[in-house]
Amino acid sequence: MSNTLRPYLNAVRATLTAALTLENFSSQVVERHNKPEVEVQTSPEALLKPLIVSRNESERVLIEPSVNAIRLSISIKQADEIEKILCHKFTRFMMMRAEGFVILRRKPIPGYDISFLITNFHSESMLKHKLVDFIIQFMEDVDKEISEMKLSLNARARIVAESYLSTVSAFSTREYDYNLANLTNLARVRKPRLDVISGHSKLG
Amino acid sequence: MILLESHSVIINDVLTDRFDKPSRADIQFVDYDNVRFHLSTPSSKSQILLSMGIQCWPDLVKYGAREHLQSEYEGYWLSEQDTEPEYNVSLIIDLEKIPEGVDDRLALISKLAHLKSTAMSSPFLSAFAEQASLQANYKDAAGAQAKDLGEQGETKGDLKIVRYREEEAIYIQASNDRVTVVFSTVFKEETDKVLGRVFLQEFVDARKLNALQNAPQVRYSNREPPLEIRHLPGLHNGEDWGYVTFVLFPRHFSNSSQAQSSINRIQLFRDYLHYHIKCSKAYMHSRMRYRVAEFLKILNRAKPEVAAERRTATGRTFRTR
Repeated sequence: MSNTLRPYLNAVRATLTAALTLENFSSQVVERHNKPEVEVQTSPEALLKPLIVSRNESERVLIEPSVNAIRLSISIKQADEIEKILCHKFTRFMMMRAEGFVILRRKPIPGYDISFLITNFHSESMLKHKLVDFIIQFMEDVDKEISEMKLSLNARARIVAESYLSTVSAFSTREYDYNLANLTNLARVRKPRLDVISGHSKLG
Repeated sequence: MILLESHSVIINDVLTDRFDKPSRADIQFVDYDNVRFHLSTPSSKSQILLSMGIQCWPDLVKYGAREHLQSEYEGYWLSEQDTEPEYNVSLIIDLEKIPEGVDDRLALISKLAHLKSTAMSSPFLSAFAEQASLQANYKDAAGAQAKDLGEQGETKGDLKIVRYREEEAIYIQASNDRVTVVFSTVFKEETDKVLGRVFLQEFVDARKLNALQNAPQVRYSNREPPLEIRHLPGLHNGEDWGYVTFVLFPRHFSNSSQAQSSINRIQLFRDYLHYHIKCSKAYMHSRMRYRVAEFLKILNRAKPEVAAERRTATGRTFRTR
């Protein structure tokens, strides 16, 4: 882990733990309603000061606390066009499954890639420190996943190009062997990196 | 499977089966680039009619596809008025007259399964022939008027255009020392466009490898068509368009078997590129699925386990605290 990632994640963890002091709070505007105040934005006294933890200009976290809910938006690093597309695909894929991830918001806040909304009901039914762990783990893994996908895409493109061109070029047995070596390489690339993934399950 | 096969697997399998045991058939199927096939037994079980409808047939006829197919499928070819309606090419195979030997049969099946690539190869073959004659003339002229030619540069053959898909085309041009093949291709989706660029860049870079020094030179440009075809009307400029240029040198088509295998590869280039773009998207999707399931597991760990009701030996229930 690089030197700046650890303090960044520590800062997010500390801020999030401090902000996750939520209580049941009925709407002051509509009777018998109980809405996340940070979403409805109807009573300014129920909102707290939003806070941005930023690692660099592209990677930052916006934490917007309120009395009964907290909204956390993450902006993920996107160095080039491929990463942008991969990031967009991945977050969209997750947000389409938002009913499974109870704390995930279906749409991100403008300017961010993915948003979470944790209400007092979530923090009552789930363990608070584990919720924080999940957010931190997500932030760590999503970068890793995107860069791995990019690497595997490049590796695939290279193998595809090489095996195509080697069949068009003048034939020799050496090239045939070369193709076979590529085939085994591709098989290696296509396997999901189980070793990396299982390394993270030490949380529980 | 990294490389695509240039023959039609369906024709191969069906004919292998029917050669052993004649039976009725009426199969319609398709191949890459909107090529339609119809395999049927209209009159009797032993008469197999194989028809192919190909979108760019008018283009192919212009470059001698009819003559080429006629000579390749001597004895099976049906004349124009006997061709099945709605199709461009028809072949009839009489199962009582096919060769007896196993090897001969296999060769015949393979030849019939390559029907599409044989049809598509005629513009390439005529370009190769043109290149040979240009080269011969160039040498003659070079002796006589070397100075003039130095000014003029190189001699070029006609530009052959094969519109093999609705919007996409292959441009083939012979010149005295090479044959240039340009593909235009369209990326319908934003993601395809970016992935396509990654793949095409790798095609350009792969040639730097020592093992691939003999491969044809590849160039690609998006937005702007390459200079060879820039004068043509109706070309698309835009983010979605990619132009890929292959430069084939005489060593790539020096003997006929090598020429045929080069042609078979080159004509499938567009399908190969798009196939692998789709494959990598599918792979990413399966990866994301796996990763999201992992995230869900981590989140579910935050939910405390519900204490199950337990019973004592006497049947009373109690709760653990």
